Amino acid sequence: MITFENITIKYDDFTAVENLNFEVKDGEFFTFLGPSGCGKTTTLRALVGLNYPTSGRILVNGKDITKLPTEKRDIKMVFQSYALFPTMTVFENIAFGPKVKKWKKQSIEGKVHEIASKVDLDVNQLQKKVSELSGGQQQRVAIARALVNEPSILVLDEPLSNLDAKLRVQLRNELKHLQKNVGITTIYVTHDQEEALTLSDRIAVFNKGKIEQIGTPDEIYEQSLSEFVCNFIGDNNQLTSLVSKYPDRFSLLNQTDFSKFYSRIERLKIIPESDSFDMASDEVMFEGEIIDFEYYGLYTKYSIMVEGTTLHAVSKEKLQKDMIENKKVKIILSQNDILQYK
Amino acid sequence: MNTLKSNWYRINPITVILSFFIVWFVFAFLIYPNVNTIYETFFGTGTFSLEPVEKLLRSDRAIGSILNSILLAFILVVTVNLVGVSLVLFTNYFDIKGANVLKISYFSTLVYGGVALNLGYKLVYGENGPITQFLLQLNPHWNDSWFSGLFAVAFVMTFACTSNHMLFLSSAMRSIDYQTIEAAKNLGASQFTILTKVVLPTLKPTLFALTILTFLTGLSATSAPLVFGGREFETITPMILTFANSSSSKDLATVLALVLGIVTIIVLTFMIRSEEKGNYISISKTKTSIVKQKINNKGLNVLVHIIAYVLFVIYSMPVLAIIIYSFTDSLAISSGMISLDSFTIDNYLLTFSSIEAIRPYLISLVYGFLGSFIVVAFCLLCAYLMKIHNNLLTRTLDYSLMIPWFLPSTLIAVGLSVTFNTGQWVVFNQVFTGTLWLLLFGYIIVHIPFTLRISKSAFFGVNQEVEDAAKNLGANAFYTFIKVILPIIMPTILGIFSLNFIGILPDYDLTVFLYHPLFEPLGITIMNATGNSASADTKALNLVYTVILMILNTLILTTVYGNWRFIRKRKRG
Amino acid sequence: METRGWKQLFLLFGLAAVLFLAACGSSGEAEETEGTASESEETSGAGNSDDALIVYTNSNSDGRGEWIVEEAEKAGFNIEIVGAGGGDVTNRLISEKANPVADVVFGLNHMFFEQLQAEDILIPYAPAWADEVEEGINDADSYYHGLVKQALILSYNPEFVKEADAPESYLELANDEAFKGIYQARDDLGSATAKVIVASILAQFADPEGELGISDEGWETIERYYANGVQIPEGEDYFTMFASGDAPIGTMISGELAAKMEQYDTEPAFIHPEVGTPQVVESIAIVNGTEQEEKAQEFVDWFGSSDVQGAFAAEFNAMPANKEAEGQITDFQSEIFADVKPQEIDWEFVTENIDAWVEKLELEIF
Repeated sequence: MITFENITIKYDDFTAVENLNFEVKDGEFFTFLGPSGCGKTTTLRALVGLNYPTSGRILVNGKDITKLPTEKRDIKMVFQSYALFPTMTVFENIAFGPKVKKWKKQSIEGKVHEIASKVDLDVNQLQKKVSELSGGQQQRVAIARALVNEPSILVLDEPLSNLDAKLRVQLRNELKHLQKNVGITTIYVTHDQEEALTLSDRIAVFNKGKIEQIGTPDEIYEQSLSEFVCNFIGDNNQLTSLVSKYPDRFSLLNQTDFSKFYSRIERLKIIPESDSFDMASDEVMFEGEIIDFEYYGLYTKYSIMVEGTTLHAVSKEKLQKDMIENKKVKIILSQNDILQYK
Repeated sequence: MNTLKSNWYRINPITVILSFFIVWFVFAFLIYPNVNTIYETFFGTGTFSLEPVEKLLRSDRAIGSILNSILLAFILVVTVNLVGVSLVLFTNYFDIKGANVLKISYFSTLVYGGVALNLGYKLVYGENGPITQFLLQLNPHWNDSWFSGLFAVAFVMTFACTSNHMLFLSSAMRSIDYQTIEAAKNLGASQFTILTKVVLPTLKPTLFALTILTFLTGLSATSAPLVFGGREFETITPMILTFANSSSSKDLATVLALVLGIVTIIVLTFMIRSEEKGNYISISKTKTSIVKQKINNKGLNVLVHIIAYVLFVIYSMPVLAIIIYSFTDSLAISSGMISLDSFTIDNYLLTFSSIEAIRPYLISLVYGFLGSFIVVAFCLLCAYLMKIHNNLLTRTLDYSLMIPWFLPSTLIAVGLSVTFNTGQWVVFNQVFTGTLWLLLFGYIIVHIPFTLRISKSAFFGVNQEVEDAAKNLGANAFYTFIKVILPIIMPTILGIFSLNFIGILPDYDLTVFLYHPLFEPLGITIMNATGNSASADTKALNLVYTVILMILNTLILTTVYGNWRFIRKRKRG
Repeated sequence: METRGWKQLFLLFGLAAVLFLAACGSSGEAEETEGTASESEETSGAGNSDDALIVYTNSNSDGRGEWIVEEAEKAGFNIEIVGAGGGDVTNRLISEKANPVADVVFGLNHMFFEQLQAEDILIPYAPAWADEVEEGINDADSYYHGLVKQALILSYNPEFVKEADAPESYLELANDEAFKGIYQARDDLGSATAKVIVASILAQFADPEGELGISDEGWETIERYYANGVQIPEGEDYFTMFASGDAPIGTMISGELAAKMEQYDTEPAFIHPEVGTPQVVESIAIVNGTEQEEKAQEFVDWFGSSDVQGAFAAEFNAMPANKEAEGQITDFQSEIFADVKPQEIDWEFVTENIDAWVEKLELEIF
């Protein structure tokens, strides 16, 4: 278990991270999510021991490691640039840690091959220079290089950000499987919400040096605690102007305490204007007209003008052509799906 | 085969014209005059004769000199790299207190060299120097001429030849991806392991190039062995110079030079092969700049600081000695004893007794500027062609441009002046001897190999994608070169430009054979003022010229390249 | 950032060019010569047209060059002095043989002039003052004529060597172990001085049967001479070592002695060997291929004349070869030459063999 206690990190006058308190459980896939410059990498580097907190403590299994140099920590890192040693072969890169620890030559070799096969690197590739590998292969070398040391904690700093979209998805899955197989506590830093949601057991959302929310992916997504989290994750409809125009129709909302209202776009249902619909008591309905649509194959995304506000909705089924030409639609939304903020 | 064909019709006419120009230049100025000299040596009498070789083989001194030169070259490869790497580590890698002050002294070899530098070391370590006096006080039986022979030569040259390390190894060090160091640290490596397994291997290509240079410098060492070597340690180049100056012994000079050339070729071939093996491509796309490492081990940290400051003292003393003694009278200079009334500015007044005294400076500045500018432009062009067309022709060009490394500059000068004093068909029957051009050609020629090596490594360090990106955005090759590639390699280019510039200013060996009699360059003026035939205060004048040159060189370096702000901004950007 | 680098580069160049031109323009004469220089590039490089007379010399240091230019101007000669060491001047002349730049060369000793003559670089001309020069100095074929006599006098520094201990000749230095390590044996055989000393020693052992015309004893002697003597390291001055006592026995050159003595405040004591003291004569000659032969001849006539040589001797404490200039000789020089008995050296024999001797010394003896 990793515990951050009142961690503050300052550079000169600039406070990069302020008073962080959270825990990461054993075997957990834990993600630091946030925009660039939010302090997530700084926090990560403090955990790895590449920088030291100005105040506060970091504990691993109850042991204070705050001042321990990185090489003494059982925490291995995969760098954003992979930081592979360009002068060494793939094998030498992976074997670097064990060699430093003076493992026996044979066990190094065995272990390197074992890890290599786990990350899908074949024997031929082991003898290549790292510059001869593709981006995805380089990333796997970087992970293997960290994993071969059998660390209790694996730390990854935006490891997928240099890769193309398809590879990212593929490697994301591999990463998840790998983590499940190895069962290693993993801290993952990313600014990509999709990565965070798909990979993580829990996510900490960072903003301006502070954690806005910690929770499981669905908690973060469905019960975003702050407007920042809500906006940073997922696509939203801004409902504030609709609510203020028709306060009575949103009777279930707490309009005295909250002033900003959002809903996830997939919560919005659309039906042809002519169709009738049995509304539940928590649901509201408006009429609008389709002004644009984007076809994604898997689904279609519509832009609908409702009372002067543009709302978005997705539908798995393609609407009838005549309906799009007809343009007029009804939209239905449950008040329970509305997120409210001050 | 296909790619070759498709390449052919893509070659643009300018490239073809430039290629012809290069081929002509190389043949006319690098191959023709030198081959001419060699031909004269062996076929001078009309028939092939090995007599000069036999003469040299009979001479123990000649053989000894050759062996000494080779020995010196090997020693320097070890010591210069050792010291050079240390300097770079102390200024760029380790967190050393006062590194900025250290840096200034470590950079001092850039602003003075050759005879001047030897004079500085002589003032410090010579018979009347402070070091010797100190040793004599410790031990009255100490031999006051202890500073001579192989040890002294190797010592002086070790510290004299680190300029390139400071320039080129430092920049290589700065381009290391700091994340690799952090990664190694994270994987549990000690500071020592990181240094030896991660940092130094990354510097290997640069170290290889520097090793070649150091070896060649050692092989052709001239002034240090003359000043400090004494009878027991003689090297080959001074001997070549003696023979080159005697018309009947010129053949011996050529043969000795050929021996130098052959050793050089062997070493270069070997080096270039291993250079290819040692190369790597940096794969980091998002580099983070290097952070200085504090040495964890307390004792080691103290030791490293001590070494850094001892080096500081070694590097500073000769410079200080030159500056201080340039303000003293000849008695103080020859006896080493300075009292308050030894100080005088007469030496400076004597040097600048007439307005005409600055004319040689200006002439050398113009030659220096033009020479280094043209040689840099020429080498950039060649390096660029070598990068985009890797074929037999460019590889031949690569080796041909190394020719000036195989021959001492004196022989090159003799070759040039003898060849071009009559109209030669290769240069369309132009006569160059006795014109301003010949010296300019000479300066260009002798600086080609070094400039080319550095330009090449700079070019090959440019990320291909950047070049492709520019082309993709519609820029033609020329525009891409000027606007995209050149700015990237500019720091390196400016560095080599200033080095060439500084090298040309005080040159004598080459200049004396080639200068236009009415335009006397600085090297000639200095030699005339300080040479043996001059009865005035030769050493004092020498010191004054050295100080002025140091100031001039510092100005050039800071204006063109070393401007601190320039370096610092580079580092960040 | 990069454009800044370029700008500075051009700025520097511009500055240099402006200063360069300014400096050339500052003296009208320099401007003129620059004009000719660039013209000559375009033509063949040979022509100095009708402007300055180009004079090569190794005797221009310590204000001699400036003095000569000034005096020549007064006499109506526009000359340009090009100075370098004796060996360098000779080499330059040889390499420029096919396209000579110089019109006149002076200051070299007869060994260099013999070499130049052999290379066909001089043209004969008998100046008006030829007969005023001491006999035996001028070239028999009128290729070169003597200006200044130099005696190369073996001396010791009385501060360090007692009169009784002083050697009597070069041979004694070589043969008596007592002198080991205290006398100068100059090995810079490119220089005229060192060559003359070698010639002075070896010429005493001429033997037609011996190697290169020298008997075995001669070679053994000179080997010992160099083995026991002290060499002057590069960058050191022979007089410094003489004055400091590092090597207090050595060869003084009469022409520069006065200045050296004043500078180092050291008074050498002269040795007068029985065989005599080697003397060389700095001469003057006209370069083959000059386009201003007439003007060159006028200059030679003027420069070697007793008036000019006398004034030169008075100004720079030299010993003129022109007997008519005797009146101007300084007391210092007259005293030196009064005591010195010239060594009889067969210069023809020496010039014929000196290069081979030097080669043998360099290869086998050093």
